[in-house]
Amino acid sequence: MKVKQIIAGIILAGLFLSLNACGLREKEKPKLKVIYAGSLIQPLEEASKQFNKLYPEVEVETEGHGSIQVIRYVTDLGKKADVLLVADYSLISSLMYDDYANWYIKFATNQLVIAYTEKSKYAAKINSANWYEILSLPEVKFGLAHPLLDACGYRSLMAIQLAELYYQKPNIFKYLIANNFDPSVKVQKDDGNYTIFIPEVIKPLSQKVSLRGGSIQVLALLDAGLIDYAFEYRSVALQHGLKFVELPPQINLSSPVCDDFYRRVKVNFGFQRFSAIGNEQAGKVIFYGLTIPKNARNPLWAEEYVKFILGPEGKKIFTEHEHPVIPPEADNLYQIPPALAPFIKKEKTW
Amino acid sequence: MWGKRSKSIFSVFLVVAIICLLSIYIYGHWQNGRISWKLTLTGKEGTKELTFYQIKEMSSYQGWGGFFTSVGVVNGPDKYKGVPVEDLCAQVGGISPKDCLWVFSPDGYSMVFSYEQVRGDFVAYDPQTLKEIPARGLKMLLGYEKNKTFFTEEEGKPLRIVLAGRQKLLTEGHYWVKWVNKIEVRPVKKGLREDEG
Repeated sequence: MKVKQIIAGIILAGLFLSLNACGLREKEKPKLKVIYAGSLIQPLEEASKQFNKLYPEVEVETEGHGSIQVIRYVTDLGKKADVLLVADYSLISSLMYDDYANWYIKFATNQLVIAYTEKSKYAAKINSANWYEILSLPEVKFGLAHPLLDACGYRSLMAIQLAELYYQKPNIFKYLIANNFDPSVKVQKDDGNYTIFIPEVIKPLSQKVSLRGGSIQVLALLDAGLIDYAFEYRSVALQHGLKFVELPPQINLSSPVCDDFYRRVKVNFGFQRFSAIGNEQAGKVIFYGLTIPKNARNPLWAEEYVKFILGPEGKKIFTEHEHPVIPPEADNLYQIPPALAPFIKKEKTW
Repeated sequence: MWGKRSKSIFSVFLVVAIICLLSIYIYGHWQNGRISWKLTLTGKEGTKELTFYQIKEMSSYQGWGGFFTSVGVVNGPDKYKGVPVEDLCAQVGGISPKDCLWVFSPDGYSMVFSYEQVRGDFVAYDPQTLKEIPARGLKMLLGYEKNKTFFTEEEGKPLRIVLAGRQKLLTEGHYWVKWVNKIEVRPVKKGLREDEG
């Protein structure tokens, strides 16, 4: 009797396991992994939430990093992601082509501003014509993201050098940056073009200038009143309810018309934080780019997500979060998934 | 069919074979569990290679540390154990205020630290508010344990840079280099004033 019971139990257990294996158990939701540049955190988190409401059958997992880390997630760290969104579209072609991707779409932009609060010294006086004079006053303190660690940091140095050219004042960079660091920051002029050499170790000489690893930590200093002004992206300043000085388009890295002017300034990094990236970056318009990596686990869901971002719902969310979008442009119209083609304004023209 | 003697020989042979197979299996497991990672140290007095186990035998420091990513995702604070980086530098001639420290990992990531940073001079943040708070006695470690277990692959197994101290504080995540396999003490390149350029 006992033997019969044991055999019956084994048969029942076997049946249960087989039914499970046949998928009668509730299936796990597919996961859509979205990795994005840190400055997109607010619109992207909201967009992902809305996308999940619209498609509850998929689980969106998001992760924010610096733009180069976003790319390295797939290329160097060997992980799988379904959609990548970066603050510099050119990173996709330079670091992912052709093994990991073969197209990108430019979809958003940004610009540099000088953020401040009501408590900032000379808050009532500062404007887009005198900001560099106010910032160079001995009693005024300002901050920027670390140029070796954050794109907003080296873009801020570019803007300061471009200001010299635009306002035709030869010492703006010297008074704001070069004189305030040890080792100093050298600028080399060559045939009307400028290269800023950022030393491997860059330390402020005093509290006049503060560097922090990311632009969000710089905002914390501003919030605490430890600095008066901060170089930031316009979207970030607006998202944090800060006042800001708009910089002229020749300086703020947002105008395609000024792209040649921006390219007159380059930065040279004292060390190569990522071996895949060269030691130099030239000034250029800030355009955000996205792609679906070739090894995405859920390419069809990734397409749906990109359609959502580029479509009216995505645009609305970005606008509500003060992040400017542009009519999407693809570099390689023949490689993008056909489902995305209707969203593209045109092929790359720059 | 078989004689008594043949049976005995066969039994002995069987026992020996089982022992051999078991030894191979155990040795294989032991080898798999062993960490074959090597750290290359370079300084004023040349280059030295240390195995993971040689590093583990050095005098260690334990403290609390944690970090946050560029979008504010907080990891820790947790209890970390490792070797002070200054002690590692001492093995190849030490580090002075005129030097800096280059740290590399095989995935192509590198980071340069100033002399002051090697001695623990970092901006620290409150784990709850992420606001800056004064840090005392932070140490830069080449860590190998988190909460009394070796790091996982994701955490930087087997060696990563750790900033730890007595207080439960956070530091910026980009300093916590994972999978460290090379450390170099180099003189700081002399910078130039703009007007010298």
